[in-house]
Amino acid sequence: MEPTIMQIVLVAIWAGLAGIDLFDGLLHIHRPLFTGMIIGVILGDVSTGLITGATLELIMLGAMPVGGAQPPNVVIGGVAGTVLAITSGLEPTAAVGIAIPFAVFMQGLITLYFTLFVPVMHKVDAQIDAGKGDSAIPLANYFGMFTLFLMYAFVATLLTIGGTQSAEFVSKFPAWITDGLAAGGGMLTAVGLAILLKIMFSMRYAVYLALGFILVTFFNATILPVAGIAVIIAVVEFYLGKENRSETTTQGGNEDGI
Amino acid sequence: MESKETKKLLTKKDLNIMAFKSMFLQASFNYERMQACGWAFTLQPGLKKIFKDDKEGLKAALHRHMEFFNTHPFLVTAIAGIIIAMEEKKEDPEVIRALKVAIMGPLGGIGDAIFWFTLIPITASLGAGLALEGNIIGPILFIVLFNLVHLPLRFVLMHYFYGFGLNAFDKLKTATKHVQKAASIVGVMVVGALIASFVKVNLTLQFNVGEKVVNVQNDIINAIMPNLLPLALTLGIYYFISKKGFTPTKMIWIIIAFSLVASFFGII
Repeated sequence: MEPTIMQIVLVAIWAGLAGIDLFDGLLHIHRPLFTGMIIGVILGDVSTGLITGATLELIMLGAMPVGGAQPPNVVIGGVAGTVLAITSGLEPTAAVGIAIPFAVFMQGLITLYFTLFVPVMHKVDAQIDAGKGDSAIPLANYFGMFTLFLMYAFVATLLTIGGTQSAEFVSKFPAWITDGLAAGGGMLTAVGLAILLKIMFSMRYAVYLALGFILVTFFNATILPVAGIAVIIAVVEFYLGKENRSETTTQGGNEDGI
Repeated sequence: MESKETKKLLTKKDLNIMAFKSMFLQASFNYERMQACGWAFTLQPGLKKIFKDDKEGLKAALHRHMEFFNTHPFLVTAIAGIIIAMEEKKEDPEVIRALKVAIMGPLGGIGDAIFWFTLIPITASLGAGLALEGNIIGPILFIVLFNLVHLPLRFVLMHYFYGFGLNAFDKLKTATKHVQKAASIVGVMVVGALIASFVKVNLTLQFNVGEKVVNVQNDIINAIMPNLLPLALTLGIYYFISKKGFTPTKMIWIIIAFSLVASFFGII
């Protein structure tokens, strides 16, 4: 079927809203299960929408944004899969195969976007100094969501109009760029952690950094048990510190000059 | 949590507004500060009330919360409650910062376990099962069940941990220095674990030795120590940012450019 202009616009709007929901709101209306149903309603084929959405959902359950990782984009994956299944009459499983390049393409775009958004933070810093934090902080957040909306709406329009041809185009997109951006995304986590270390780290804590690292690397620990052990060490250190202090000072003073 | 002696500055309504705003934690996500600006957005109503007549104090507090922040988007109100209580108590900024960092990592692990490994798989597979039979109730049931846990939790955590924070820090106030040290230990150790878990460096570089294909990362570097590359990368960035005065933005661009070039030549 050929989608009407109205249908194209509605799909784009839904993709934009779902794209926002992936990061903000988090009501999970962006999951393929729900998106499939909505796209089905928009394009007038609810049952194909339901089945394709559910098929995609079960595939993408494994692709969770756990720990800041960027899996193939679940929003565009869901929209592309259901749109193509309905407009091109593809079997749900075949549509899913075509949806994946779109999801990978979108993931690259988002990595780039999260990098381009960095200067906004410095603008906000300056505005806070100028006493305008009141408006600057909300504005930065609204701007972020608006831009996300536009990006998702744009990609959704592209794939609704282009159908399977746009899928070919996207899959011809040089792999080294999307691969490179994906690899970069995996390494960028290190920047955030380095900033944390800048704030907290001093050489006397180096052993604890090593301990956390070793527990995961050699004992396959997850973050939670590491945090548990860290809390135990911290509590011991806390009481040792307090005891030492009350031994050295005659009065357990409240006025502990900090 | 009812407190007898502690006076509360923030009303239930203030806390509800903050819990609602926490839904937009990632609206300004970026690779330098991650959720920082959304986090400041969440705390802003509370901070404005706490630093009502203190313009400079408010500026400092907003800057403090514009620093790097990243936690689980569903459980963020637990930290928000504790931290806003500490701000209300005018705790030492260093202690606030150390505690914030110490909690945000582990909370990510708990949130992943509750939401991404439990709640979503259960509700989504239930809904998908119905949808595959063509039943329109499937997707709707999924959204309703999911949010029956998600939305109340957000508000409950905010209220509970605000009360908890107010009481806890009355008791801990006399030992702030030790609290800071203890919090830093947890924070640094969690960062060590995060480096090994979430920093990904994959070299595809390989060469032939006789008939054997040797992959540089798998066969050489990982033989010395697994995760050596993520550790070296993080410490390297730390070195450039804190000792050489590189801005995080500059580091991000260097990494992106490097990844693209390396990917082009098939190194990663």
